[in-house]
Amino acid sequence: MKKIFFSFVMSFVAPMLFSQSYKPVQVNFKPMFGSQELVLNDSVYTFNLKDSVYIETLKFYISGIELLCKNKMVWKENNSYHLINLSEENTLHLMLQVPKNIHFEHIKFYLGIDSGMNTSGAQGGDLDPTKGMFWTWQSGYINFKLEGKSNACATRKHEFMLHLGGYLYPYNTIQTIVLPMPAKTSAIIVIDIKTFLSAIDLSKQHHIMSPGNNAFLLSQIVAKSFSPWIAPSKK
Amino acid sequence: MDSTFQKISIIFFLLVLLTAFVWVEETAFKIPDNWPKPKYDFTKNPLSENKIELGRILFYDPILSKDSSISCSSCHLQYTAFTHMDHALSHGIGDSMGTRNAPALMNLAWHSNFMWDGAINHLDVQSLAPISHPDEMGENIVSVVYKLNRNKKYRHLFAASYHLSSITGEQVLKSISQFMLTLVSSHSKYDSVMRKQSLFTNQEKNGYALFQKNCSSCHTEPLFSNFQFVNNGLALDPDLRDYGRMKISGDAKDSLKFKIPSLRNIEFSSPYMHDGRFKTLNQVLNHYTKGIQKNNTLAKELETPIILSANEKVDLIAFLITLTDRQFLFNPAYGFPK
Ligand code: HEC
Ligand code: HEC
Repeated sequence: MKKIFFSFVMSFVAPMLFSQSYKPVQVNFKPMFGSQELVLNDSVYTFNLKDSVYIETLKFYISGIELLCKNKMVWKENNSYHLINLSEENTLHLMLQVPKNIHFEHIKFYLGIDSGMNTSGAQGGDLDPTKGMFWTWQSGYINFKLEGKSNACATRKHEFMLHLGGYLYPYNTIQTIVLPMPAKTSAIIVIDIKTFLSAIDLSKQHHIMSPGNNAFLLSQIVAKSFSPWIAPSKK
Repeated sequence: MDSTFQKISIIFFLLVLLTAFVWVEETAFKIPDNWPKPKYDFTKNPLSENKIELGRILFYDPILSKDSSISCSSCHLQYTAFTHMDHALSHGIGDSMGTRNAPALMNLAWHSNFMWDGAINHLDVQSLAPISHPDEMGENIVSVVYKLNRNKKYRHLFAASYHLSSITGEQVLKSISQFMLTLVSSHSKYDSVMRKQSLFTNQEKNGYALFQKNCSSCHTEPLFSNFQFVNNGLALDPDLRDYGRMKISGDAKDSLKFKIPSLRNIEFSSPYMHDGRFKTLNQVLNHYTKGIQKNNTLAKELETPIILSANEKVDLIAFLITLTDRQFLFNPAYGFPK
């Protein structure tokens, strides 16, 4: 009964709250492998000339989204925590509600979850522990997860599992990413797994499942694999 | 800018409405007299009768384990202050053995880290560890939530508490926290002496003085722990090779450090220490008087040996027994749900 009353009130109130002109700004994530679109459980991709890889899981957290104008924050999303999961297409597209009169040039966000949220107990939504991105035996979020198989790994079934996370100094893995965002209503952000895998040594770093120096270093490399999408010009 | 004014008044109105709802459902958490403020942030998980009861039902239900053989209470029994009686190392699913002794569960609202090495940073996420541990419950939270959502009893219980159509991981964890938060032990003889409602015997009084002199820097009143990680001089077990806090922090300075346990209800929470190596309080005292292993992470207080005569040991143990809280151990509200 209470709930019905609450939603009744909300149905009047919500339009008033949002009546001030907002425009939707879409942020789309586009996982790539070099110039190819990255598809899970499908293609074998090659890198470093001789290595091949098959990707089974790509999941990561984007949080604290802000829009910047002349390097100053002009808008920020409240309660901004998004799990991007390549196996769930709809999670690749974020819809931001930005006031119409705001001008921006850059988008800033974190790759990962801040230490405050890492130590605040059970959360819901994209942060719910059932999302498989929370370590159980030692508390903390996994910021970035990449799993698959590669001939470079001398492991059982050539498997690799990179679970990057950790919020404690000196191995705090959260990364800040700032990218230009010239278009006013949408952006396409590429994460290029080829860039990432070419910069690490999969033959040695194939199982990272806990916080520490490895997770810390690899997180910095992942952050460098993000870039604004540039449509191929030559046909 | 009257639209701003409009917005502010609407938000205000909503807040008033919301607090009215919360007010109806909330149950206050009682802080015992002269105790410090709890560490747990109750504003993020306000207690309610329904949720506490739901947490209790979950705590006692083997549905949380893979083959429905083990519940939290299999390792945490009320009559032993929620520790695992007579097992140095806890037994889990398929009779597998854990590597550590189950600690007593009480006054958890005052802890800021959980587990002997502080691997868990918040009470809400504690349950994930035993649920997922292959040697404990061997399950995972995704399938626990799936099983609960298919169970009619739980769908009703969760709907009554959270007013949502389906059960989430967050709700499961917060409900179990609610029950654990109510496990407050503050009615021992020691407490009634502090409240000037009864008196120590001479022996207990002498034991209390010895305790304050030798033990209370770590086992600090009124919770009987300051919850720091320290090395109290136990020799490394060569089979378990458990270096405690160092595994979490990666820092050699934390080698052999463990979370200081509370000593409330210590009479009933044998065996003692992180690996349950001692069966009796006498053995514990012998450790402190003549078993201390010196190494570079040993706590300063224990560098010079503690000296206790045979009589003093008896007195100290008499004091430790005043920390037994029968009201806690036999409180029907903590027992198996009806
Ligand atoms: C198989 C036995 C077992 C089961 C089942 C079990 N526990 Fe435990 N529990 C332990 C052990 C052992 C520890 C200490 C582990 C460590 O320090 O590494 C512990 C630690 C804890 C702690 C930390 C206490 C402190 O002072 O730091 C809490 C809280 C807890 N358990 C709650 C639960 C809950 C809730 C459940 C059910 C979801 C549960 N346990 C199921 C054995 C068990
Ligand atoms: C320097 C800090 C320190 C001092 C001083 C200290 N303790 Fe401890 N105590 C600890 C730590 C740490 C543990 C847990 C160690 C472990 O299991 O590895 C512990 C464990 C215990 C336990 C086992 C509790 C359980 O639930 O398993 C008892 C009993 C105990 N202490 C009693 C005493 C007494 C009595 C004194 C004074 C004679 C004393 N302690 C002095 C740090 C201290």
